[in-house]
Amino acid sequence: MTNDYPQILLKNRKPDRINTLEEYRQNGGYAALRDILARLTPKQVQEKLLDAVLLGRGGAGFPAGKKVVTVADDAPHPRYVVCNADEMEPGTFKDRVFLHAEPHMLLEGMVIAAYSIQADHGIIFIRPEYESAARILEREINLARKAGFLGEHILGSDYCFDIVVHRSGGRYICGEVTAQLNALMGRRPNPKQPPPYATDKGLWELPTLAQNVETLACIPQIIQHGAQWFKDLALTPEAAGTKLFCVSGKVERPGCYELPLGIKLSEIIETCCGGIKNGARFKACLPGGASTGFLTAEHYHIAMDFDSLKKVGNRLGTGAVMVFDHHTCMVAATLNLAEFFARESCGWCTPCREGFPYLRDLLWRIENGTGEADFIPMMRTMCAHMWKSYCAFAPGGVASIESLLHHFEDEVMAHIHDKRCPFK
Amino acid sequence: MPKLTIDKREIEVAAGTKVIVAAERLGIVIPRFCYHPALGSVGACRACAVAFLEGPVKGIQMSCMVNAMDGMVVSTTDPEAVDFRRHVIEWLMLHHPHDCPVCDEGGHCLLQDTTIAGGHGLRRYKGTKRTHRDQYLGPLVQHEMNRCIQCYRCARYYQEYTGYRDLGVMGIGSRVYFGRSVPGQLESPFAGNLIDICPTGVYTDKPSRYMGRRWDFQRAPSVCLHCSLGCNVTVSARYRQVVRLEARYNREVNGYFICDRGRYGYAYTNAPDRPRQALAAGRITAMDEAVEHGRSRLRETMARSGSQSVAVIASSRSSLETLATVKQVCRLHPWRGPAVTQTRREAANLQTAVAQLKPEFAVSLGAITAADQVVVLGADPLNESPMLALSLRQAQRQGGQVTVIDPRPVSLPLPFDHQAVHPSRLPAVMDRIITLLGHRLKSTAPPATAIAEPDMAWAEALVRQLAASRRAVIVCGTDITTPDEIGMAAAMAKALRQLDTEAKLFYTLMGANAFTAALTESPDPSIESILEQIESGSVRALLVVEQDLWQCYPDRVRLQAALDRLDLLIVMDHVASPILDRADCVIPTQTLYEAGGHWINQEGRLQNAQAVLKAGEPIAISGQGNHPPRHLSPRISGTEAMTARAAITALVRPEDRPQAEEFDRAMEAAVDAFHPVIISLDPRHIGRQVDSDAVGGTNPVSQTSSRAAAADAGRDTITLLMVDWTLGTEALSSQAVALTESEQNPAARMHPRELEAMGLAHGQTIAITTDKGRIALPLLADDRMAGGVLLIPRHHQLDWQVLGATRLEMDRDRISAGT
Repeated sequence: MTNDYPQILLKNRKPDRINTLEEYRQNGGYAALRDILARLTPKQVQEKLLDAVLLGRGGAGFPAGKKVVTVADDAPHPRYVVCNADEMEPGTFKDRVFLHAEPHMLLEGMVIAAYSIQADHGIIFIRPEYESAARILEREINLARKAGFLGEHILGSDYCFDIVVHRSGGRYICGEVTAQLNALMGRRPNPKQPPPYATDKGLWELPTLAQNVETLACIPQIIQHGAQWFKDLALTPEAAGTKLFCVSGKVERPGCYELPLGIKLSEIIETCCGGIKNGARFKACLPGGASTGFLTAEHYHIAMDFDSLKKVGNRLGTGAVMVFDHHTCMVAATLNLAEFFARESCGWCTPCREGFPYLRDLLWRIENGTGEADFIPMMRTMCAHMWKSYCAFAPGGVASIESLLHHFEDEVMAHIHDKRCPFK
Repeated sequence: MPKLTIDKREIEVAAGTKVIVAAERLGIVIPRFCYHPALGSVGACRACAVAFLEGPVKGIQMSCMVNAMDGMVVSTTDPEAVDFRRHVIEWLMLHHPHDCPVCDEGGHCLLQDTTIAGGHGLRRYKGTKRTHRDQYLGPLVQHEMNRCIQCYRCARYYQEYTGYRDLGVMGIGSRVYFGRSVPGQLESPFAGNLIDICPTGVYTDKPSRYMGRRWDFQRAPSVCLHCSLGCNVTVSARYRQVVRLEARYNREVNGYFICDRGRYGYAYTNAPDRPRQALAAGRITAMDEAVEHGRSRLRETMARSGSQSVAVIASSRSSLETLATVKQVCRLHPWRGPAVTQTRREAANLQTAVAQLKPEFAVSLGAITAADQVVVLGADPLNESPMLALSLRQAQRQGGQVTVIDPRPVSLPLPFDHQAVHPSRLPAVMDRIITLLGHRLKSTAPPATAIAEPDMAWAEALVRQLAASRRAVIVCGTDITTPDEIGMAAAMAKALRQLDTEAKLFYTLMGANAFTAALTESPDPSIESILEQIESGSVRALLVVEQDLWQCYPDRVRLQAALDRLDLLIVMDHVASPILDRADCVIPTQTLYEAGGHWINQEGRLQNAQAVLKAGEPIAISGQGNHPPRHLSPRISGTEAMTARAAITALVRPEDRPQAEEFDRAMEAAVDAFHPVIISLDPRHIGRQVDSDAVGGTNPVSQTSSRAAAADAGRDTITLLMVDWTLGTEALSSQAVALTESEQNPAARMHPRELEAMGLAHGQTIAITTDKGRIALPLLADDRMAGGVLLIPRHHQLDWQVLGATRLEMDRDRISAGT
């Protein structure tokens, strides 16, 4: 490991295999579950999650505690917990690393979350490319069930809950929770605008709690060590907990690192990742996956947490830091992202379905020397209008384009003026 | 009631009203593509964006997704909203082929209008267009996928609204494709509505392709003749031919949609073999000569055998005006008739249904969608009255439950309970339900099951559901049933009323104007009884008005024999039939599209159809394929055709003046004198229910007939039922080539148990022999139907009429393997 910060989720990460059920138990695994089943009411578990200010790690950063309390006490059964393991955000691979390290921490977190809303069924919705992780989960679910941590009368209590693994059809939009629920019901994975919210009427009109892998994995730790301990893990006062950062791009040692929230971007790049590759200069990065805007050198020392990034008009997203050096053409980088969004739009609403291919075409022209100065205001207006799309896909998708025009207009203009890409 | 301001004008609307609808009430039509009143709001196209300036919602929002709320200030002309909508149109047009000049939708295209209105005139996008392959979707709907703007209306209509799954959306992003997984005929009999609902030219009307623009057509409101529901349509005609029908909105009847039988059934009016020439003694003559020939022959017969030797047969497809004239003519002479229904059973069924349908029990097709419980008795909605199936689906989608009690393998595009009960047991089952309802009222325990029914638990469950319902509807058919069941359906509704359920009654009848026919018929109605009078020699002359006896009368052998005995046969019609060859005098009449008129649907709703075009041979025929026609003649064939009303009047008008004047007065008064329930044909009464209380208490229910039949229905006999199919059986629409391409080939159906017991195989050809005749057709096993029943469609490809009856008890040995 290249950092000295406390390791919570990846403490027992091994180079070649998962932490087995036995090893997990030896390290205190499933103690939190035993504890809550013996001692705590569902309401008390919910309060603990609220106190810990555990923000959703899947990209939106919605407080997990606030989500669980929206399931009404008298809501109908069966209730569902859906674990979102459909990790398709470009640059994001934390869930994969985690699932290959500590599958039981996720299972325990799921059962505790399920207990807090008295859910009956759990589903892990997993990206089809993660077949090895899916098989690990299926195998470990069986082992956990045999050990009494899942299924009927968990650990001898009255509480029953079981988990199945569902492989996604394999599209980015399936990671959007409402689209994911549609996919699980065998429908077309188009997003569905709330209300009703999933915790009120989700799968088959029944209460459904959907959480990201990493979010659920934090729960046993919170139960075990308390909310204050969890909050103290972060370096900034508003933040709580550690975060799995996935660093990729032009750094010496890309990879998945567990670091406290609020750590400085510069520290991630230099201390953890060994600095920019081949001695090049830092030009920009995407702080949280393809759906966030570019962070430039101006914010090289920014504290990496939800609030700090929000203050500069950006988002922590999934914590996937993609680093670009001064040799990188930002137009080409943005075009690459636009290609992704044009391909992955679900096709439901007009601005997203048609806007991304349009923007891709304009970016392609700029990058290939046929761009026009008019394109810039056109793209600005179009991006602004794409915020009026049906779901959050398009606002996320235009973030990189908007920030390209904001921070790198000169570079774009150079393309247009020279009728070629200055980096080629 | 929320009060809001839209474009500086205040409006108060009901809670739950969307802003787009509130604006419409002010006459402000906000652009829209995905939003359709029948399908609701989904917010996909984003074309209806408006600015919310004040109130609980702020910023640019989709007006179809936001409920009107108190204090809202909405601007549809806000610069940002306008610019956003302009962008939406630009996006929608990126891949559109701009093929308006060769697109059939051009001129009445929502996309065309919105593009022009939105100000998107210059193309900025420099990229290539994405293209798609079109699919063959059958003979009715033309597919042109490149025009698609991905509004999702078609997929939502087809899957959510009609409940069929073979057309939908595939793919993602800008590559989404609307069609079938493989090319092929659309399975839904409501597929034609895709044409109406598509906001551009992806789905266009195939039979009328390239026939003209909206403004080229003569267009007029009309009604559909192909079942008794009376759906409203708009008819388009050009070059002396009807080219296209579209659904015409009527909230109370068909809503926004019609079925394919109704949409494409018009072809008989353009048919090359349609009788257009008057015939006298087998010779083509001028119309007045033919009329004169008929007059003199009629007078001869009356002089020889008295006026009672003349009988008149009319039909339930004729207009109220025609039926009133026929009735008046019969009354004046007096002649026998008019008879409209085919058999005594059909007559009794019709009279019972119309007598039982008291206004307080009548429910419209549109209102059925709000029912929470529907019991369908002896009716097969999809096959008999297709749009009823669509209404039932909407009822089910809104939480209603549908139970069908019918011997046939009833299929509906919705989840429903089906009790396949043998027709002879239907009265006993209904009796049981009424008894159970009665006991519920008195809170007494019901007696043990009185009938030999192995499992009547479902009836008890049904009664529990019915007793708990708020708005129940009893649907009852009049085709395979008997007056017993029809009367008991009314009794069931009455029993439910006593249980504080707002129960309603919905009969389906045989023919578009069957309700009027019930008011027309003489005391001893039915064509069957007229034939008896011909056989006995008391009727010597027969006037047949717009009734295709050859196709519709269920005993062809008897019909032919009876017609052979006549001294005189006069036929007035616009449909080709072998009967015309036997007639001494043929007088062509105008179709509904040429004559217009009034029709009363099965619910007692008086509706008006306007004349669309003048009668005359279509240019496509008279021009012999040349356009413009090179065959020049001052005379256009077929223009002499009269309305049936005028033809009858001409045929019987006395010659000497005082009598003629009196006659004219009587004929003018025919509609007023027709029946007390028809107050007048004043436009104010159109669309209103006639006061069927005034129909009178005649209730020809015979309480014993079917009970006796039930006793007869032993193990050795099988009940033969001749039944209706969605396509292929209705006499007029089965002439349409587009529909015959879509219809299924005729096949008999029996329960697999019967096949096994009789040693027959699924798919095998069988021969059925009755006392009257024999037919052969393939046999299919169907385990959704009742045992002891053989079903044969009244299919136009089949000489089903030779068997002699539409409902018949026969020995099993009458069914044999054979060709």
